[in-house]
Amino acid sequence: MNRRNVKDKINQGLITIVAFIGIFALIGLFIFIINESIPALTQVGAEIFTSIYWYPTYNPPEYGMLAMIIGSLILTGFSSLLVLPLGYIIAFFLYDYANPTEQTVIKSTIDLLSGIPTVIIGSFLFIYVSPIMMKLGAWSSGNLLLAAIGLSILSLPYAASLMQESLSSVDVSLKEAALAMGASRFTAGFKIVSKKALPGLLNATILTVNRIIGETIVVLMVAGGAAIIPRSLWDPVRPLTAVIASEMGEVAVGSLHYSALFTAGLILLTISFVLTLLSRRITRSGSS
Amino acid sequence: MKKTILTLALLGLLVFSFAETLVIKGSNTIFPVTQLWIEEMKTMYPDLTITLEGAGSSTGISALFNGTTDIANSSRWLKAEEIKQMGQEGKYFIPIVLGYDGIAIIVNPELPIDNISLENLAAIYTGKITRWNQLDPNLPNERIVVYSRNSASGTYETFVEKVLKGERMAPTVQLLESTQAEITSVARNKYAIAYTGIGYVTNDVKVLTVNGIQPTKINILNSVYPISRPLFMFVDATNGYPETGKVKQFITFGLSKRGQELVEQAGYIAAYGF
Repeated sequence: MNRRNVKDKINQGLITIVAFIGIFALIGLFIFIINESIPALTQVGAEIFTSIYWYPTYNPPEYGMLAMIIGSLILTGFSSLLVLPLGYIIAFFLYDYANPTEQTVIKSTIDLLSGIPTVIIGSFLFIYVSPIMMKLGAWSSGNLLLAAIGLSILSLPYAASLMQESLSSVDVSLKEAALAMGASRFTAGFKIVSKKALPGLLNATILTVNRIIGETIVVLMVAGGAAIIPRSLWDPVRPLTAVIASEMGEVAVGSLHYSALFTAGLILLTISFVLTLLSRRITRSGSS
Repeated sequence: MKKTILTLALLGLLVFSFAETLVIKGSNTIFPVTQLWIEEMKTMYPDLTITLEGAGSSTGISALFNGTTDIANSSRWLKAEEIKQMGQEGKYFIPIVLGYDGIAIIVNPELPIDNISLENLAAIYTGKITRWNQLDPNLPNERIVVYSRNSASGTYETFVEKVLKGERMAPTVQLLESTQAEITSVARNKYAIAYTGIGYVTNDVKVLTVNGIQPTKINILNSVYPISRPLFMFVDATNGYPETGKVKQFITFGLSKRGQELVEQAGYIAAYGF
């Protein structure tokens, strides 16, 4: 074996080890969360998913998460509704219309935005935006709309840059062909290139949604914190992540309450896992 | 050379093993008080090392049972089963009152209300009353925006126990993560109500009298004000009151003039020397 071969083998070994550490960490995390949530799942059972009453510290305790699950889903859905079109518009502009200077400016703005700590975004919304909302008619200073705005701000960089990537990955010849056929610049980009990039765009969508559903600090600070099923944009919500963050610090390790918080984590992990699988499938069907 | 290092290492070990460590666990409510005390005491007794952990009153008391703490901070009295356990294990814990905590009911200064009864307060927090004019026809016909601390807070525990008498807080109550967030929210919202430790109240909000009683120092100290409670340190006195040593040093400092000033600085009411 010559020196080059040895080097190659070492590199290969290192990469394998690192990859396996990653896989084991992921599996370990899954096992840990499932393991910790088993007591709640077996002892509380279906009540977790059917009851809207979350009273873990009362006697007798009740562990209903329905309102919080629905709150999480509504908030995620609404934030996605705000951020995805906006992300697409930015991506589309960057791809088709922006000159190099504009591209640099927008790109670096997006990069900068993705670096702002979420706690800063939360404070900003609470201190400056919330009073404006109160003047506009909000009855609660923390509410669904405010949280959705926060989530949109922090997930916009993901949506925009992922979408722009998938648009750019489409072969230029397609666009050129469309333009040669007499299609306008907008039609070529919006109807033809975007259609070809659809799997990538859907993938970006799912990753963005994934990012939104797991976000914690902003919802903890500005979502209002009442575990009710919201009926209007001004209503407060209490998503699962906020509950975990708010209560995990105080529970006795190993108690049913502790386990129930892990069940909340398991629900989030399951949603995220399903979304990721979905995104893999979409990517694969797009490339084949 | 080697010998010197060895001697030094041994000497270091000796000093380290003689350094006293005082372990304090328990109530998060008392945590800030204890922290202020420790900071001040470090300048007085440089060789005294103190570890402080806020894990809840119950955790502190159970740690006192299994001997993993020297002092258990507790924002509540002993439970019946804890007293029973003391008898079974032949142990004797003594309470030392370090201060008092009163919970102020706050509303927006623009709301024309000055007093609230304990029953009405409970009705608001359990969701039986949802509009201000249900309380008093002269008040605006607006939804009451109810704020509370999250369930991890000691103030929350006291509130549930003293006001709701164990009844459940309505799901519509908004749980906030900090007292500051409560005060800001009430200051901003004309129809909001919240409760905070008496020491945190600012001029941005209005404090209500409860059952006509002002949450003044004297009223809280005598527990005339309905939402007040004493704060305790529990100490294991199975072998008699600790007359010397680190526990005694700590208690003495806490009850001293300076220690009691720090209780007030942390936002509570000093138990002694007012």
